[in-house]
Amino acid sequence: MMPILVIGGGPAGVTAAKSLVDKGGEVVLVEKTDSLGGRAREWTCKGLVECRNCGVCYAIDRAAELLTQPSVEVLLLSNVTFAQKSEEGFSVKIKSSPRYVTDDCIGCGKCVAVCPVDGKAVFPPTGSGQPRVHWIDRDKCLHFKKGKCSACAEICPTGAVDYEDRARNITRNVAAVVYATGIEPIEACEMNRLGCGRYPNVISSVDAEKTLNEKGRLARPSDGKAPKKIAIIQCVGSRSVKVGVEYCSKFCCKYATKISQLLLDIDPEVNLDFYFMDLRTLYEPQDEFKVWAKAKKTVKLIRSMPAVIFDRPDTGNLLVRVASETDLEIHESEYDLVILSVGMRPHDATGDIAKSLGINADQMGFAATTSDLEKSGVYVCGAVTQPMDIEETAVRAMAIASKIKTREGGT
Amino acid sequence: MNAKIQVVLCKCCSEMPKLLNIARLEKLASESGNVLSVMTLDGLCDGKELTQIVAEARAKEIDRAIVLACQKKDVSPALIKAYRRAGVNEYLVGIVNIREEVVLPHTAEPERAQTKAETKLLAAIARSRLLQPLERSSEDMKTRNVVIVGGGVAGQAAAREAAKYGVHTIILEKTGKSITAPGVVMPRARLIGGKGYGGNFELRIKVGESVEDLGAASIVVASGGGWATLKGALAKTVKGALPLYEFYQKLQLDQVPAGTVVFMDTPDPAGKTLKVQDFAWDDTLETAIELKKKRPDTAVFVVFQEMRASGLSELAYKEAAEIGVKFVRYDRSATPKVDPKDPTVLTVKDLSQGEVLKIKLGAMVFASIPASQDNQIIAEALRIPMSPDGGIRRGSIQRGPVSTPKPGVFVCGSALFPKSRDVAAAEGEAAGKMAGEFAARGSIEYGGIVAQVTQEKCSACLTCVRTCPYEAPFIGTATKAEIRVQACQGCGMCVGICPSKAIELLNYTDDQIMTESKTLLGGDF
Amino acid sequence: MTEPRPKIVGFCCERHGMDAVVLAARSGKQFEVSVRLVQVPCTGRVDGMHILRSLEEGADAVFVLGCLEKNCYYDTGSIEGRKRVGYVKQMLSELGLEKERVEMFNAASSNSWVFPEIVAKMVEVVRKFGPVGGEKR
Repeated sequence: MMPILVIGGGPAGVTAAKSLVDKGGEVVLVEKTDSLGGRAREWTCKGLVECRNCGVCYAIDRAAELLTQPSVEVLLLSNVTFAQKSEEGFSVKIKSSPRYVTDDCIGCGKCVAVCPVDGKAVFPPTGSGQPRVHWIDRDKCLHFKKGKCSACAEICPTGAVDYEDRARNITRNVAAVVYATGIEPIEACEMNRLGCGRYPNVISSVDAEKTLNEKGRLARPSDGKAPKKIAIIQCVGSRSVKVGVEYCSKFCCKYATKISQLLLDIDPEVNLDFYFMDLRTLYEPQDEFKVWAKAKKTVKLIRSMPAVIFDRPDTGNLLVRVASETDLEIHESEYDLVILSVGMRPHDATGDIAKSLGINADQMGFAATTSDLEKSGVYVCGAVTQPMDIEETAVRAMAIASKIKTREGGT
Repeated sequence: MNAKIQVVLCKCCSEMPKLLNIARLEKLASESGNVLSVMTLDGLCDGKELTQIVAEARAKEIDRAIVLACQKKDVSPALIKAYRRAGVNEYLVGIVNIREEVVLPHTAEPERAQTKAETKLLAAIARSRLLQPLERSSEDMKTRNVVIVGGGVAGQAAAREAAKYGVHTIILEKTGKSITAPGVVMPRARLIGGKGYGGNFELRIKVGESVEDLGAASIVVASGGGWATLKGALAKTVKGALPLYEFYQKLQLDQVPAGTVVFMDTPDPAGKTLKVQDFAWDDTLETAIELKKKRPDTAVFVVFQEMRASGLSELAYKEAAEIGVKFVRYDRSATPKVDPKDPTVLTVKDLSQGEVLKIKLGAMVFASIPASQDNQIIAEALRIPMSPDGGIRRGSIQRGPVSTPKPGVFVCGSALFPKSRDVAAAEGEAAGKMAGEFAARGSIEYGGIVAQVTQEKCSACLTCVRTCPYEAPFIGTATKAEIRVQACQGCGMCVGICPSKAIELLNYTDDQIMTESKTLLGGDF
Repeated sequence: MTEPRPKIVGFCCERHGMDAVVLAARSGKQFEVSVRLVQVPCTGRVDGMHILRSLEEGADAVFVLGCLEKNCYYDTGSIEGRKRVGYVKQMLSELGLEKERVEMFNAASSNSWVFPEIVAKMVEVVRKFGPVGGEKR
C-alpha cells in the first residue's frame, strides 16, 4: 500500500496524518521546521484551572502522539523539492536537512549556554514542539563555517551532538498528497503598526503568546516588571484596506478574549482595556465575554480602534488615543503594556511545489481544495485554505483524511 | 506471596551514566524479595532487545515486570506485546518513569537522584507485589447501526461519511422533509430514550405516534439549531417574519414581498436568549447581497449587535456595504422595537450615527439559530451533558473535537453551537468518520482496570451512580451497586467518592496506592 | 545549616498531569528532588485518605495535579479531585495543620512552566510552615 504524503506538521497535518493511519494507512509527513505542532507550539494554554477551549494542547498532544505511530514516517527539517504526477499517484523528492543532534538529547540546554555564536547556532525544539530534541543551524554554526568550535559536543552529557549528520535526499511514491502548510502572522510589528517594533512595551499577540507559553506570565520588555494596566487591541492587520489584509482572521477574538481571562487569572488586579470593532468569539455566546468583563471590575470593553499610540520614554508607558464610538470625543488612556492582536496570512501556497501539485492560490494566498484537485489526488487542508481556529482545523483535517481513506485505498 | 518479578533497567532512559549508578540499582533489585530476574538493556525503543526480555522472562517463569524507563507512551505497546509472548499479563507490567521524574530534572544532585531512583524502584516492587492479573473481554456489537439524530446539514454529512465504513446509517429526522442520504432515513422520528454503552446502545425512538426500539453501535447527535422556530418578542409582533432559509427560497423563486427588507440578528433582542442566538452570517450576507443585486431599489438593512461575519465572510460584509446594504448596530440600552399598534414599523437606534431610525417593513428576516429545544430531550435520553446556553457540550478536547464524554456518542454542527453550514458539514463528516470507524470494529473490548464493588460494604447511597459520566455503576437486583463493566472507563471517580469504601479500582486499590506513597516517603532524599 | 528537606507527595493523573511533568523535564526544567509522584488514572480516583495518610507517613505537603477542568479526559474527574482536596483542607484545620499544605492544581500538556512552579509553591509552603510535626529531618 502506498503511503500518503502530508506536507506540514501543524495541527492540520498531524490530525490528518493520525486519522489516515487510524485504520491501517501509511503516511510520510514532511515538516520544514525542527518539530511538530505548528504555530501552536508557541501559543499558550489559556486556562489556569478551567479549560478555555483554545485547542493548543490538542495540537501538542496530536504531535506527540504522531511520533509513537509506527506507520508514520516523520521527516523534520525537511522540504519537498519535487513533485510529479505518476500513474498511481505522485512521485516526490524530499530534502531532509541534518539535525546534528541525535535522539540521545535530553533537552538540558547546556549546548545553548556554551554556544559562542551571537544569537546562537544551536536551539531547543521550538516552543512546546515535539520531539524534545535540540538542533543545530548549520548556517550559523562555527563548527561548519570556520571548521572549529566543538563546544556543544564537548559539553553534551549524552554525546548527542553529531557533526557527521548528513542531508538526505529521499524519494517516495505516494498515493495522494495532503497540503497543510498553515499560516504566518501578519507582519504588524515589522510595519511598526501602532508603535510595535518601535516602543518596547508594545508587543504583538505572537510575542505575548510565546512569553506566556514559556513563562506563564507577561513581563514588560523595558524593565521586566509585571504589567498592571494592559491594553489589548484587536484586528491589527486584519479587516483593513490600508494595512495587512482585508479579511477577518477569524480566531483573534477567540484567542484575545481568552488571553484576557488568563491574564486576570494570573493577576486579578490587572486593569485591562479591550479595544475591538466586533466581538467574534467563535462558537461561544456573543455575550459571554461581556458578562465576564462586567463581573471583573477592572476590565473594559471599548468598541473603537485606536488611531495612534504615543510612548512615554521616561516610564516606557504608552498613551493610546481613540475616538469613542458613542460621544465622538477623543480619549487618551495610559497603559504599561499594549498587546496588538495580529491576524494571519496563509503560508506557502503559491510556491513551486504548490504549483506542481496543481494548487492555485487566490490573490490573498489562500488555496482552496477543489473537486478537480481532489480527483487528482491533492487535498488542501487547514488554515492555508481559509482562516480557521485549531478546532475547526482538526475537524476539517479529520473529514479530509476520511475522504482520502475511503476513496484512495478503501478501509 | 507468589509474585515472580523481573526488573528491567533501560540504560538509555537512565542516561547520563554519570548521574545514575545502574549497578547499585541492579543490586538493589536483585536483593529485593520476589525479584527473580534483573536485566539491563541499552535501550527499548527500537524493539531489538525485547527478544532478550522474552527469553529471560520465560526461563525464569516470571509473572510480572517492572521496567525503569520513560513515560509509557513511547515504550509500552511493544513492551506489552513482548511480555504477552512471555506469558506475562499486561496489567502486571509496570513502567517506572525514571527518565522524566528523576534523571532529567535533578542533574545537579546526582546522589539524591540516585536515592530517589532506588526508592522509586522499591515502591514499584512493593506495588507490583500487590497487583492482580486482569483480563479484558470482548463483546460483539449486536448491530452495525450508526444512528444519527437529525437530518440537517451535519446529520447528512455524518451519514454520508459513516456509510463509507461499511456500517448501516439510520437518520432520525423529526420533520417530514425529504432527505437524500445513504442508509435509512426515518421521517417524523425522534430519540426519546436510551440505555447501554458504546457498541451496544438500546435506543427508544418515537416514529410518528408509535414507540420503537432501535439498537445502535454508535450515535451521532446532529440535532442542529432551532432556526425554524422564531421565538421572541419581535417575531411575535411583526407580521410575516421569516426564517432566513425560507426567505432565501422565496428569493430564488422571485416571491419576496415588496418593500424594505430588514435582516435582524435575533427575534428577541432584549431577551435572555441573546446568549444563544448566533447569526448564520455567511448565509445572511450572501442573501442580502443577492437581494440587493436583484432589486437595487429595495432598501436592505442588516440590524445587529455584533457583526460576526468572520474569516472570509468579512469580504462579503465589505461587498454588501459597497452595494448599498445598510448596516445598523444597536445595543442593549436601546433594543429594536416594533409597536404592536403599528407592527409594520421597526424603531432602532443606530449607534454609529446616533440617530433613531424608523424603518417601514416589507419583510423581516431572522437568521438566528437558537439552541434546539430538542437538545434537552436528547441529552436526557443519552445522559450526555449540555452546555449552559442550551447546546450539547463537547467532551474534553483530548477525546477529539466531535466527541461527547460518552464513548461511541459523537456530536456535531449547530447542536454544539450555532454555526455556518460549511463548518457544520465538516463537523458532520468528522463525526461520521468517528462513528463509522467505531461501529465498523464490530466488537468492543472492556475490562482490565475497572471498578469492582464489594457488595457487603455498599449502602446503596447512589453517590457512585450520580458521579459516573459513563453510567457504569447501577443499583442491581440485590439493591446494591454493581458495575456494568462494558461501560467502565477505569477512571476511579466512583472509587474515590464512595463514602462506604465499597468500590475498588482494580490495580489502583487504596492499598496499592498507599503502599506506593508510603514506600516513596520512606526514602531519604 | 541546611534547610530540612521538604517531603512532598504529588498525585498526578496519567494524562495531562503527567504530561505536564514530562514536558517540563524534557524542556530541561529542574525541580526539587524530594517531590515524590504517584500516578493515578485520574485525579478523581484520589481519596482524601491517600492525602491524609501521606501526611501521617512523613509528607510535609501533598498536591494533586490533574487536567484542566472541563478538559479532563474523564470529563469531571479533576473537578472531583478538587472536591477531595477541599474536603481534606477543611479537615486539616481541625487537625491543627495549615490548609496550604494540601493543594489542587490543574495543567495542560503544552505547559512546560507549570509543573516546576507547582513544586516551587509547595516547597515554599513547607519552608514557611516547617515540616509536619515540627521536627527536623
